[in-house]
Amino acid sequence: MKNPYHPIPMVVKKAQVETDDRMLRTIELSFLNEEDAKAFHFIPGQFCELSILGKGEAPFGIASSPTEDGSLKFTINKAGVVTTGLHHVAEGAEVGIRGPLGNGYPMDLFQGKNVLVIGGGFAFTTLRSLIAYFLHPENRNKVNDITVIYGARMPGLLLYKEELLKWEKRSDLKLVVTVDWGDKDWKGKVGLVPNVLEEVGPSSENTYAVICGPPIMIKFTFPKLMALRFPNERIYTSLEKRMMCGIGKCGRCNIGHLYVCKDGPVFSYAQLEKLPKDY
Amino acid sequence: MEERRKAIQDRIREEAKELLSKKAVDLIIGFGEWTLPLRTTPIFVRNPEGADHLIWNSFCENNLATYLHKFSHFKVGVVAKGCDARSIVALSLEKRFKPDQLYLIGVPCQRMVDRRRVKKAVKGEILHAHEQGDQIIAEGEDFRTELKRDDFLYPSCRVCTHRTPTQANVLVGDPVEESPLAEAHPEVKEFEKKSQEDRWRYFEKESNRCIRCYACREACPMCYCTECFVDSSNPKWIEKGFSASDLEFYHIIRAYHQAGRCSGCGACERACPMEIPLTYFTQKLNQDVKELFNFETGIDPEAPPPLSTYQTEDRQEFIK
Amino acid sequence: MKLKLDKKDLGSFLQNLMDEYDLFAPVQLAEGVSVYKKIDHPGEVDLSTSNPQKPAKEVFFPQSETMFRYGKSGKQNEMVSTEEVIRERILFGARPCDIQAVSITDEVFLGKEYTDVYYLNKRKTTTIIGMACDHPLSTCFCSSTSGGPFLRKGSDLFFTDLGESFLVELLTEKGMAFLKNKFFKEANTKEISLAEGIEEKALKMTDASVPVEGIDKRLDLMVESPFWGRLHEKCIGCRVCTYLCPTCHCFDIMDETMTNGGQRVRNWDSCLSPLYSQETSGHNPRPTNRERTRQRIMHKFNYFPKNFGRAACVGCGRCILYCPVHFDIRQAINWTSAKRLKLQRGEHSTNP
Repeated sequence: MKNPYHPIPMVVKKAQVETDDRMLRTIELSFLNEEDAKAFHFIPGQFCELSILGKGEAPFGIASSPTEDGSLKFTINKAGVVTTGLHHVAEGAEVGIRGPLGNGYPMDLFQGKNVLVIGGGFAFTTLRSLIAYFLHPENRNKVNDITVIYGARMPGLLLYKEELLKWEKRSDLKLVVTVDWGDKDWKGKVGLVPNVLEEVGPSSENTYAVICGPPIMIKFTFPKLMALRFPNERIYTSLEKRMMCGIGKCGRCNIGHLYVCKDGPVFSYAQLEKLPKDY
Repeated sequence: MEERRKAIQDRIREEAKELLSKKAVDLIIGFGEWTLPLRTTPIFVRNPEGADHLIWNSFCENNLATYLHKFSHFKVGVVAKGCDARSIVALSLEKRFKPDQLYLIGVPCQRMVDRRRVKKAVKGEILHAHEQGDQIIAEGEDFRTELKRDDFLYPSCRVCTHRTPTQANVLVGDPVEESPLAEAHPEVKEFEKKSQEDRWRYFEKESNRCIRCYACREACPMCYCTECFVDSSNPKWIEKGFSASDLEFYHIIRAYHQAGRCSGCGACERACPMEIPLTYFTQKLNQDVKELFNFETGIDPEAPPPLSTYQTEDRQEFIK
Repeated sequence: MKLKLDKKDLGSFLQNLMDEYDLFAPVQLAEGVSVYKKIDHPGEVDLSTSNPQKPAKEVFFPQSETMFRYGKSGKQNEMVSTEEVIRERILFGARPCDIQAVSITDEVFLGKEYTDVYYLNKRKTTTIIGMACDHPLSTCFCSSTSGGPFLRKGSDLFFTDLGESFLVELLTEKGMAFLKNKFFKEANTKEISLAEGIEEKALKMTDASVPVEGIDKRLDLMVESPFWGRLHEKCIGCRVCTYLCPTCHCFDIMDETMTNGGQRVRNWDSCLSPLYSQETSGHNPRPTNRERTRQRIMHKFNYFPKNFGRAACVGCGRCILYCPVHFDIRQAINWTSAKRLKLQRGEHSTNP
């Protein structure tokens, strides 16, 4: 029987620092063994537990889309022992993975609807996966309008800058990138995400909203979504909580009777309303 | 003896009623009855009517000073025995609360009964127990045993020489004669007779049944670090497993973190579910601190703790 | 047909088992302190306590367990699995409450989606010899949690202490494999009726009045109740209740460095630890003891029932006996009853 706690080996194919403050690094991993690669199927919104033997394990949202074959992308924020370790792994080094874990975004529900994506800071990782999935020619027809509002504190802290430039040029997606404070080179929008959302004023009709970001951003953006008449059943978010096993056994990440690792991390606000404010 | 206990109980209630009616404190922390025999429980009284729930007997074993961290935003009146009051003095020296935040209701202590020893002295479950004079009467389904109270006291209580709180706002009984029932902690005396190797073996045997629950740490009023050394992951000082060295390391460091701060109340030992005799570690260290620095925790509210201060006359023959 | 084992044969019976099985039984570590351990010789077994401090879940879910080892390079090909259980095992002398608790931890570890192989391997290789509780304590409330001192469910063999001998019942297929055990004799009618008498007496002794039934519905109304603000006050967060509880199953996973590499280990953890839910950002959803106490009680009596249809409490009473501040879970459960009535009437009790 497969041991769900055993990490599977992956190799670091590429690694680059994403942000000016050097706190965020994106790594691309590929499976060491062919059969592991073949068996790995995921949907946007799922996460994996990355493990460095000797340092530990931590959960990270998958930033690459299932349509991007060959390797998995993760963006790591340097904060503790494991993440510092992941900042120092060189190309060619081995990293363990357990996954895919979690429930992912409700891709079935989005079919035939408009999708509004709101991201802030480095919570944009799984949103990238979602957007890249729908931008793929095979999937673009599955949804109607795609609107993306992505904000960071400063231009240097934006993730996936090259990709954002490409996406801005596309006609099948409306992308608004904003920063809280610009710099002398920044030609784009300057404004807080909640205000930009109000400005863009997307229609809530037939639209699902997905919002990921720091608590403060969510706190101020949520009322704007309410004002735009988005019902709680059509607002989804990906929650963060301290996790350990990732498979609903160790008991750590529960919110009420649901486990963020197993029943989440993606929840609708309608679900969250019924749960204790334990997050 | 019973009269004395009842008189103290009445005075505690009187004092509590007055303080709460005058709103001099937000709440009083004391002891109350609960469901099991041989036990009391900490209670939190917020209005004068509730003061009638406060009791005083030989089962008031908890060190209530440990609650002061939880209620640090309130003005609190606390029922304190000699050892509890000493912990409070030590905490004040460490600036854990402002002086006018506390009202100490000092109780000269008659020494607390070791409920575990009482349980082991009878055959069967004790369903009712009460004090009568200098006796404990323990009753079960088919037995009634009378035990001499003084034979069943906690080790830390037997050696105590500071049963009367000296820094209380009010004393609810007459000060007691400060002579210990035992010359020294019996375990420490035995321990000191042992060779270096035998000392280690004893320590190893006792600490190896530790289950790393940290009840000792939480029961102790002096353990209030927001991140204990055992929880630190960077640097990681200690693993969370059960290797003998990890268990011993935890107990050594915790005991040493208490040196010069421990009042010898025994709360750690009473909290331990595996009945590890923790007070012999701390009592030995307290003794050493007394010999080396002429210091006893919580006696002098002005004297700074020796292990957090430096004097040029400090002994240093251990520097070789 | 009921069998018996004479007490004078107990030592030989156990020794005989140890030739084939790893035997786990209550062992005394100090006077009044016992735990379940793998024994090296029958003399270690201590059946004198009503219940060892540490619960029998330890036999399936050890407090500290190596998950795998790795070499210095940290590479996958040097990993060594540790989930295999080589020898068959016997858990001897566990009380019905601890055995009922094993069926509760089964729900968590043997889930449909992911199976905890460490737990599974131990579980399927273990034969459980339960020991009837002939003299429950006043703190036992197993009868309030759908259990009882003579609950046979979960045991493969079931022993009842008759004084000079044990009555032996073979309950499952695993148990029936012991039918021809050379130490078992046929029990006579006198012994059987003696056992029935002991059972009748014991059933009257446990507390069936604690309102565990329906507590999950009551707690649904109480998530933000001021009840928690008062209930948690005397709790010092010492964690003893969670470490001695037979159904608590939270654990922590860490990598431990050793001389030639290391091992990934899991250790029991407790939701009452202040840093339990501390996030790297610094945010802690359960910042004070109030939220943590609420989590513990809600998990046992509301969240677990929502997922598995029953409360995660077997009424063993260890949390009542060993709590240093005498927190009594029975009172907390009783108050949810009183609270609901008061909530319905529109009153709020703030000083239970």
